[in-house]
Amino acid sequence: MAVANGNLLKEASNAALAPIRNESNYDPLRTFELPKGADKHYSQQFADMYFLRLSELKKHVMEKAHEAWDEFELGGEKAHFVERVLDVRQGQLCWVVGTVYMELPEKPNVLADITKEHDIVAPPPRETYISSSTTDDMMLEDESGRLRVTGEPVHAHYVTGCVLAALGTEQADGTFQVIATQYADLPEQPKRWERQDAALEEAGEEIPKRGPAGKLAIVSGLDITGSDDKDLYLDLLVEYLTGEATGPPDQASASHITRLIIAGDSLQRGAPILSREEFAEHKQNSRHYGYDATVYDPSPAQRLDTLLSDILPTLPITLIPGVSDPANVALPQQPLHPALFLKSLVYSERPADGIDTIHGLDMVTNPWDGDIEGYRVLGTGGQAVADLLKYVKNVRPTEVMEMMLRWRCVAPTAPDTLWCYPFQDDDPLLVKECPHLYVAGCQKKFGKKVIEGPEGQKCLVVSVPRFSVSRQVVLVDLESWEVETVRIGVVGK
Amino acid sequence: MAEERSRDYLAARVLTEGQPVTYRLLSRAIKVDVNTAKWMLFDFHKQQNAKKSNTVHATYLITGKKRSEDDESKHTNGVNGRDGDDTNMRSSPFMSSMPEPEEDSDESDEEPVKQTTILLVREEQLQETRAEFDEESSIHIYSLEPGPIENLSILATCNYEVATGYADEDPMERWKTYGSIHNPHIKRRTRKFGPPPAASTSKAAAKPATKPAAKPSAATQSKAKETAAPARRGSASEDNASGRSTPRSSAGTSTLKRADSKSGAKKSQTAGDLFKSFAKSKPKAKDADRSQESTPAPVEDEPMQGMSEDEGDVEDEPDVKVDEEKKEAARQARDARQEKLRKMMEDDDEDMPDAPTDGESQPEPTPAASADISEPAETETVTVENGRRRGRRRVMKKKKVKDEDGYLVTKEEAVWESFSEDEPQPKRLKPAPTKAASSAKGKPAGKKGQGSIASFFKKA
Repeated sequence: MAVANGNLLKEASNAALAPIRNESNYDPLRTFELPKGADKHYSQQFADMYFLRLSELKKHVMEKAHEAWDEFELGGEKAHFVERVLDVRQGQLCWVVGTVYMELPEKPNVLADITKEHDIVAPPPRETYISSSTTDDMMLEDESGRLRVTGEPVHAHYVTGCVLAALGTEQADGTFQVIATQYADLPEQPKRWERQDAALEEAGEEIPKRGPAGKLAIVSGLDITGSDDKDLYLDLLVEYLTGEATGPPDQASASHITRLIIAGDSLQRGAPILSREEFAEHKQNSRHYGYDATVYDPSPAQRLDTLLSDILPTLPITLIPGVSDPANVALPQQPLHPALFLKSLVYSERPADGIDTIHGLDMVTNPWDGDIEGYRVLGTGGQAVADLLKYVKNVRPTEVMEMMLRWRCVAPTAPDTLWCYPFQDDDPLLVKECPHLYVAGCQKKFGKKVIEGPEGQKCLVVSVPRFSVSRQVVLVDLESWEVETVRIGVVGK
Repeated sequence: MAEERSRDYLAARVLTEGQPVTYRLLSRAIKVDVNTAKWMLFDFHKQQNAKKSNTVHATYLITGKKRSEDDESKHTNGVNGRDGDDTNMRSSPFMSSMPEPEEDSDESDEEPVKQTTILLVREEQLQETRAEFDEESSIHIYSLEPGPIENLSILATCNYEVATGYADEDPMERWKTYGSIHNPHIKRRTRKFGPPPAASTSKAAAKPATKPAAKPSAATQSKAKETAAPARRGSASEDNASGRSTPRSSAGTSTLKRADSKSGAKKSQTAGDLFKSFAKSKPKAKDADRSQESTPAPVEDEPMQGMSEDEGDVEDEPDVKVDEEKKEAARQARDARQEKLRKMMEDDDEDMPDAPTDGESQPEPTPAASADISEPAETETVTVENGRRRGRRRVMKKKKVKDEDGYLVTKEEAVWESFSEDEPQPKRLKPAPTKAASSAKGKPAGKKGQGSIASFFKKA
C-alpha cells in the first residue's frame, strides 16, 4: 500500500489523501502580561521583590521544615525555629528561613558599571560567575539582616534569590554552619482540564468529549539572520511541519503534531540592547545621536514572517520571545510586536479585539503559561536557566529547571543578575501552580526529565536546544508523554 | 496530462535551463500533490539517465532512525543509568536541592529518546548514508539538477521561488492541491484595512517591477533555454519572473481586492497608481487621464488570465509557448508605459518639486530624479513600491553599496536631494537611455524592498 510505504523511489500508486491535523485545545493564560503604557512603572525598588518572594514562600518552606525537623534532635538538643536570621544565638541548634544571596566575584555589579559609565550597554557576557581563585560568600537574608552561612549542604546547591530553610548552629566566628536545608518543593498541580471544565461549568455547558491529544512540537533558537546559508534547514523544517517532505508514514506522524511552540531567539540579532563591542563600534561610526535607521536590516524579520506564514496554514504556533528577539529585555518579556509579522498576522486575532488566538499565531510573553490539551504548560525562552547555570558547575539545564520548580520561582536570579520588571504586589515569576510540562528554549543540549512532587505532582521538564546549532525539533506526545526528537540534516554540506 | 506536463517542465528547466527543481517547486508549477511530484521526479530521473547516464543528478531526502546516533544515545544513557537513583535521594529530607556536580543524572530514569533523522543527501553519498540508517521510514527524491551541486543550499532558491512565485494562492487551500497537512481549525482573517501591509506588498510588487527590467535582456537572449549555461544565474531570475506571473495573474482575476494590493499583473496597475499620484500634484489632469487610459493593464492582464486561470489551456500548450505569449504581452505593456512615461517626464518637470509634499507620492521623485539614468519606467515602478514604506529608503542606501549587481552607484539618494531645484535634470536623462543601465538600476531598486533575500537569490 502506498499509504504504508514511505519509499517513493518507485512507480506511483494513488497518492494518499492529505492527512488531517487535529485541533489543538489551547487556552493561554496571561500571567506574565505587564500593564500597558503608563501603568507600567519602573520607579519601584527591586528590594520589594525579595520581600514579596520571601513572604510568599516562607509559609511553604516552613511547612516543609516543620515536617522534617520538628522531631530532629542532635546530641539531645531539639532544633527550634528562629523567626529572624539575626536572632540566631551562638551554639544553639535552630533553623531559619531566608533568601539566599551569593557574593560572587565575577557577578556583574551594577554599581561598578555606573561608576564606569557603562550604564547604556549590556554587561560583558560571562560564561560563569564562579571564580576559581576566590571563595564565594553565601548569605541568608530576610527583612532583619544577613547571616553568613557555610556548610556542605548549601554550597553549589542554591543560588541567589531562592528561599530556603537552613538547619544548623552559629559558630564562634559568627557564620552559620548548615547541616541541612529545605525548600518549598513543587506547588499544587491543577488537574488536567480543570480550568476548562470549570469554565464550561460556569457557562452551564456540557463537557464535550475530547479526542486524544496530539503532539506538541517545540523548536527554539532559529537564529534567523536573513542570510542564505541557513535557509535550507529552515525550509526543511517548514516542509517537515507542513507534511510536504518525507513519505506518507512520516507525513502521517507529522500530522499528529497539533501545535508548534517557538521558544525564544527566533532572530539572531534583534535585541535592542547593544553589546559592548557593538556599542563601541556604533559610537565610532555614527555622527548622529540616537537611533540610526540606516543600520536596521529588515530581512531577518521578513524571513521569520515568511517562515511563520508558511507553517501557519496547517499548524498553530505559539511564539515566545527570547534574549535576542526584538522584545523588551527585562523579564517577563512581552509579546513580539505584531508589526513584525505582516504576512502571518492574518492568522491571529486582531490585537484590538483583545481575545486569545486559539488557532493561529499567538505571540505570547516570555515566560508564558497556558493550557494545551488541558495540561498546564510553562514555556520560557531559557534565559533564566542560562543565567542560573552561571552560578553552578556541571549541572544540566533540566536539573536547573527542576530546581526552579521546586524552589517555586522560574527566575530566582532576577533581579540580581537577570533583568526583570520591578514587581510590587504580585510576582508572577513565582510558580503558584505546578505545570505538567516545563519547557526552556535555547539550551546547549536537548534534555528531558520527569520530576515528581510529594503530593503526586508529575512534571515533564524539557530543555530544547537551539535549532541553529543542533537542528533538532522536540516532539512531546501529550497523550503518552513520550518525548522524541527530529533532527534535520544535510549530508556533506 | 499531468505527467506530460511534468516531463515538459522538468526537461525545460533542468535540461535546457540548467536549473535545479525541488519536488515542491514542481508540485507548484504543475499543480499536483507533493507526493506525486516526488514520484515524477523519480520517474524523470530514471528515464533521463536511462537514455544517457548522468544527465540528471538527484538529491534525496531520507527519513528514519540513524544507527550511529541511536548507539550514542544508548551509550550515554547507559552511563546515566548508574546514578538513576538520584530522584529518590532528592526527596529525602536532608538532601540538598542541587544535584551533585559531575553527576550525569539528567536522563537517568528515562528510556532513550527516540530520534528521527531527516537527511538531505546527494546522489553520490546516497548508498553510504542509507547504510547508516537502521530503519528507513521514507525516502524520496528531493530535487533534480543538471549536475552535482557543490552547495546544497542552492536548493533554497527553489523554495524561495515557491514562496514568492506562488504566494498569491490561497494558503488555506494548499492542502487540497499540494497535499500538505490539512488543518480545518486554522482561521485566517481577511484583511479589512485599506493599504495592505508594506512588507507583503513590496515583496510581491517589487517582483513584478523586476520583471520588466529583466525582460529586455531576456528578449535579447531570447530565452535562456537556448543559451542555457552561460547565462545561468541571470536566466534563473528571468525564469522566475515569468513563472511567477502566471499564478499571480490568476489571483488578480479572481479577487480584485487582493489583486490591487498584491499583484502580479499589477505591475501595470501600480504604474497607473503612480501616474495618478503624479497627476495629483499637477494642475492639469490631462496627463493623468491619459496615463490611466493608456495604462497597458488590459493588454497584459488578458493574455495572462487566459493562461493561468484555466488549466485546460495550459495542458494543451507546452509551457514554452505560454512564456512567449506572456513575454509578448509584457513587452507591449512595457513599451507603452515607457513611451508614456517619457512624455510625462517632459511635461512634468516643472511640477516635480511638488511631488514630495504629497505623503503618498513622496518617494516617487526618487526615480524621476534619479534620472541620470534613462528609462524611468522601471525605476519608477520599483521605487513606488518601496516608497510605500517610507523611511526604508535609507536602509537601501547601505545595502546598495554591498550589492554586487550593476548598482554600485548610489546615485539615488544624491540625486533625490539635489532634485528639488534641479528641473532640467530629468531632461538630461533622455539622451542617455541605455537599456542595460535602466534594467540594472531598476532591479536593485526592486530588491531593496525585499531586503537581502532577493540579493541572495541573485547570488545563488
